[in-house]
This record gives sequence, C-alpha cells and structure tokens, in this order.
Amino acid sequence: MSEVIVVTSGKGGVGKSTTTANLGVGLAMRGKKVVLIDTDTGLRNLDLLLGLENRIMYDLIDVVEGRVEIKKALVRHKKYENLQLLPTSQVKDKSAVNPADLMALCDELRKEYDFVIIDCPAGIEQGFQTAIAGADTAIVVTMPEVSAVRDADKIIGELGRSEKDNIKLIINRIRPAMVDSGEMMDMDDINDILAIKCIGQVPDDIKVVTSANRGEPVVGDSDSQAGKAYENIVGRLLGEDIPFMEFEKEGFFKKLMKAFKLSKD
Amino acid sequence: MSRDLVTIKGGKDGFRLLVDSSASMEEIEAEIKKKLDENPGFFPEGTKFELEVADLDRSVKKGINQILNQRGLGVELSVKKDPPPTIDEQSQMPPQYFIQHDGNVEAQEMTVVEHTVRGGEEVTSQGSVLVMGNVNPGAQIIAGGSIDVRGTCRGMVHAGAWGDISAVVIADRLMPTQIRIANMIARSPDIMEKSDFAERAYIKDGQIIIEPIER
Ligand SMILES: Nc1ncnc2c1ncn2[C@@H]1O[C@H](COP(=O)(O)OP(=O)(O)OP(=O)(O)O)[C@@H](O)[C@H]1O
Ligand SMILES: [Mg+2]
Repeated sequence: MSEVIVVTSGKGGVGKSTTTANLGVGLAMRGKKVVLIDTDTGLRNLDLLLGLENRIMYDLIDVVEGRVEIKKALVRHKKYENLQLLPTSQVKDKSAVNPADLMALCDELRKEYDFVIIDCPAGIEQGFQTAIAGADTAIVVTMPEVSAVRDADKIIGELGRSEKDNIKLIINRIRPAMVDSGEMMDMDDINDILAIKCIGQVPDDIKVVTSANRGEPVVGDSDSQAGKAYENIVGRLLGEDIPFMEFEKEGFFKKLMKAFKLSKD
Repeated sequence: MSRDLVTIKGGKDGFRLLVDSSASMEEIEAEIKKKLDENPGFFPEGTKFELEVADLDRSVKKGINQILNQRGLGVELSVKKDPPPTIDEQSQMPPQYFIQHDGNVEAQEMTVVEHTVRGGEEVTSQGSVLVMGNVNPGAQIIAGGSIDVRGTCRGMVHAGAWGDISAVVIADRLMPTQIRIANMIARSPDIMEKSDFAERAYIKDGQIIIEPIER
C-alpha cells in the first residue's frame, strides 16, 4: 500500500521543505521506496537540502509538458538508492502545473513507490491547490507562534473544503525553555486549537541548518534532538506507537558554559 | 420534465442555492444568470447565498462565487449537506431551537454547524446557530438569534445581529476576541484566562454580562 503525502503550512518558512527532506531520507533509511516532489516552482530548494542540485537534468515541468518520461526526470539520492527526487524548475512559475497534472503524476508514481511526498509552496493560492490534488494525507507544519498557528488553522479548513480529511500536524522549531517561561505557545494550546492528530514535535536545533547547508538532512544524526524527533515521526508514519520525547532544556549549567565561552573569546 | 440544474430557495435563514453536480460550469452560469434576472430586486446587493451541493468541483464553486460577485452578491459558506430529506423525514424533523426569556418560549430556525469553524470561515444565519465544535481565532459567527458553541469559542461572535437584544451567546469555554449582542460590543480582556465552565453572555441593563451556567 503506497501513500501520497503533501507537506503544507499556510505561513511560509516554517519548515515544509526541511520536513519533506527529513521524512524522505528517514523513510529511505528504513528501506522504503520514496519519491519526493518539489512543487514550489520558481523557488525550488528541496534539491539543495538533499545535496542534489548538480545532478538535475529535467524537472517537473518537463514531465508535465510531456518532454520527458517521469523516470528520466527523477534524481537518485547519492546515499540511498531507494530515494528519488522530482525537482521543479526555477525559471517557470506555478501556473505551469495544474491539479489534474499532479493527480495523474501521483497515480503513476504510487504504482512503484511506497511513499510519494510532495513539498508544497506557502500560501493558499493555485500552487497549494495543485500540490494537494493527488494526496491521501496532508501533513500541516506549524511553529509555536500565534500567526503560524492561525495560518495552519486556515489551511486545515481549506483542506477540509477540498475533501482532504486525513490531516496530521507537526510542530516545528519548539524552544522548550521559552515554552516553560510562557513566552512560546505550549503544545496543549496548539493541539487544543487545531484539533488534528499531532505526529511530531521538533525542537529548534542549529544542526537542522548546518546539516541542510551540507545537503544531508539531520534525520540520521543521533546527536541531534531534531534528528531524533524526525526519526520518531518516520516511525509514526510507519504505524509505530512512539511517545513524544522530553526535550533537553538548555539548563543553567549549559548557559553558564556558553557565557563562559563567550567571555573567553 | 428535466430537473432544474439550479434552484434558489428562500427561507428564514436567507437564500439557498442548490446546484446539480452533474451540470457543466457553462450550464450553471447560464441558469444562475437567468434565475437572477427573473427576479431583479429580489436579491439586493450584498445578499449571500448558502451554497448547497452534494459534491461540486472546487473550480465550479469558485466559478459560482465569481458569477455572484459580479453582481455584488456572494456565497456565504458551502456546507457539505446530507441529501435533502424526503417528505416523510421532513415532517418529523423541523430544525427548531427554543430560547427561553421572560417566560416565553419562542421557536426559531437554527443553523447547525457540525464541525469546528476555523480561522477565515464565517457562518451567517437569520436564525440561531449551534456549533458542534470550536470557533477558532479568526472565525466569525453572525446570527439573528442566539449562538451556542459546544466547544471552545475563541473567534468573533455576534448574536442578535439584526437588533434582537434578548439573544444570548453560550459556550463550553467562552474566550472570544469579541462578543457582540445586538448593537453592543464586549472585548476580551487582553490576557485571556482559560475558563473551566460553560458561560452565557447576555444583555442586562444595557451591558453585556457574562455568567457561568450549568450544562
Ligand atoms: N527545527 C528547526 N530548527 C532550526 N532551524 C530550522 C528548523 N526547521 C527549519 N529550520 C530553518 O528554517 C528555515 C525555513 O525552513 P524551510 O525552508 O524548510 O521552510 P519552508 O516552510 O519550506 O519555507 P517556504 O515557505 O519558503 O518554502 C530554513 O533556514 C531551515 O533551515
Ligand atoms: Mg519550502
């Protein structure tokens, strides 16, 4: 049984592409056949996050406009053979692909792959409608921030109106110390408002950024809390019952160390 | 005789627009225009239609909205509705809601929303509104009568929107950004406390009063 998942958010910059890359690599590490589709035409960056930019020959638009076969446009991951990327064009715009195109593409890909994961552009315009068209499941990514949660809420409403009822939530960039001090929304508040199944709580972690710069998603990195959190999400997508982890707080001792380091420099 | 592709029904709750989902966009457009032209003056600018369809395509929904917008009209909320009841069922289930004030029991038509109303959504009804879910921040409920939220109300609610000062707002957890009843407005405190009991807001002595109630 294969599953087509769209990763969406409403508000931009909350971590859709990061999530897509990490779930893709994570599922591939577990032996699944995975294809990732970048639908953020004009702003593609999923290839960068996966370190595949220099291997792109064709893109989503070439496939949709019938210039090449899907197989030819897929870019294989360097390390995981069972992970493929269908990149998009940086020069065309989002109107080059329509919902029916993507639906047909997903139906084709689901014959061969266990998971098709679609990285959606920000906003609720045409690009969003196109990205969600072929999906069985939607993952909504948000941050513990009032405006991001409001946009997530709108997107969930929009998904419902488009008859997408299987919706899951990932809360990204959590800073436990700020949640504790009341400066950041806590998980219960967010879940209370959005009222959809939460499958991931990912801490804010500098390793997400440094690993993205290297083109290696953090998911395999056991020293990283975010890496661990993504691994857990992968497990939950595979039907495992994994409790949410307690975050290591940046405690007094760590802060002291930092202050000490700073003053020494 | 073939069935009408587009039907407009007037009711206490405003107008409902019923569209046959097998019709093409062109057919729908022609029918809607014809219907609207038959009764000009019947649909003043600003009139909202409740769109009632079994399974319309999004693009069709958008198209209908555009046609209406061109004439200063609009679609208010497209709820997925069960198929219309048969005559038999109809006689058994008048959707009524009883509001008690000053010893009078008044029957009013009620709109039931069976899901959470999310940010950006708006529910408008000439009668009362019952929400079986939450009303989220950024959502709006506007009712001619009372509003009852069986969940947490964090959005904007306006009861008695056409001047009924006896209208009330009830919620399991009442923490809206604003409560309006008739022409009165109560703003939430800037720091909202979570309420642990159901509350009712109503007008008393020219003020909006909020008090706990038993459910
Ligand atoms: N858990 C995290 N910890 C720290 N940084 C993060 C985390 N998640 C994402 N980021 C950073 O946030 C930025 C935005 O992430 P990303 O590009 O994945 O968002 P997006 O939702 O895809 O954005 P867009 O809407 O522009 O497509 C990136 O610089 C990324 O490295
Ligand atoms: Mg992105």
